Amino acid sequence: MSTGILIYCFDTDKIPYHPTTNFCISQIKRYLNLPVTVITNKNTQKNIQGADSFVIIDNQLNNRRTYKGETVDWYNLERACAYDYSPYDVTILLDSDYFVYSQQLKQLADTSYDFLLHNKVYDLTGRNSFNYRTRSLIPLVWATVVIFKKNDRVKSIFSLIKHIQNNYQHYCTLYRIDFRNFRNDYAFAIAMNQLNVNNFIPVKMAMLPTDTDVVKIDSDSVVFKYQNKKSSITKQDVHVLNKEIPFNV
Amino acid sequence: MDLSELKQQSDASFDIATAKKNALEKAFSQQILVYNQSIFLANAETINLVATLKQTHKTFVVLDSNDNPCVIAEPEEFLTKLIEKNQEVLNQYHHLYETFRKKI
Repeated sequence: MSTGILIYCFDTDKIPYHPTTNFCISQIKRYLNLPVTVITNKNTQKNIQGADSFVIIDNQLNNRRTYKGETVDWYNLERACAYDYSPYDVTILLDSDYFVYSQQLKQLADTSYDFLLHNKVYDLTGRNSFNYRTRSLIPLVWATVVIFKKNDRVKSIFSLIKHIQNNYQHYCTLYRIDFRNFRNDYAFAIAMNQLNVNNFIPVKMAMLPTDTDVVKIDSDSVVFKYQNKKSSITKQDVHVLNKEIPFNV
Repeated sequence: MDLSELKQQSDASFDIATAKKNALEKAFSQQILVYNQSIFLANAETINLVATLKQTHKTFVVLDSNDNPCVIAEPEEFLTKLIEKNQEVLNQYHHLYETFRKKI
């Protein structure tokens, strides 16, 4: 049975995502030693290093979001196709800004569960920035890390996610979600709610919010700064939301 | 002690408290133990449950972290793995905790 990593990466005019993806791949190779497939477009592919294979697509361009007070392009409309694009029996689908610093994901890929993701996170800056409980009727799940196997049940979960994506405004109204721009986290949450899928990774995902600057990053640790406070983490998987990361420092 | 010193002290203790909390969260997240394809947390609750059941049962069923049942056919091996993982994680946390204590 094959196990591998799937990452999406599409550079936008304002934000080049490929440096983040390249670092993400190097961390995967160091800590998990699993094959990596990147789903990308032709323009971005030439800048991606270290991937074992590519799926080249013409990604949809019609989504935007607020990032640091600006409205920017957000090419996140392909995640629902991860089941179709993945060449693996067991897939670990990762955001390109999720950096692996342990072997934990490899352990979690070797269970009887066919669909797993986080439903709890914690803010490493201690400010509890990710409390979205009052912003929808449905508890949020995080599609940042999704471990899935190929079978009929999981295929139906992804089919429903596609349907939700195509009818997102309806589901936003139904679940009183106040993020009107399409967000994968809610599409996954709704699909899991509709299909009564209740299996989660039982620990919280470590998060660094958008307003937190990464001062230094290497293969073992991340040093970060927020409101003139400096702190660091070592050998801990982390989701970094600030896209300006000084990889060469 | 003037106000700026108090502010410095307050900032320092906030930083230490946050770092301590992060270290503890890291410890919790490292307690994951996959056994018989089920997911467990190698915490005091799981260790106590398995140690207690092991006294009277050669095999038994426990619920994993998602409340799904898992047959434990070799309790001794499972308990050893739980304790090893628990102590590995808590020893790391202990080392970090000592560095925070010295900073106070």
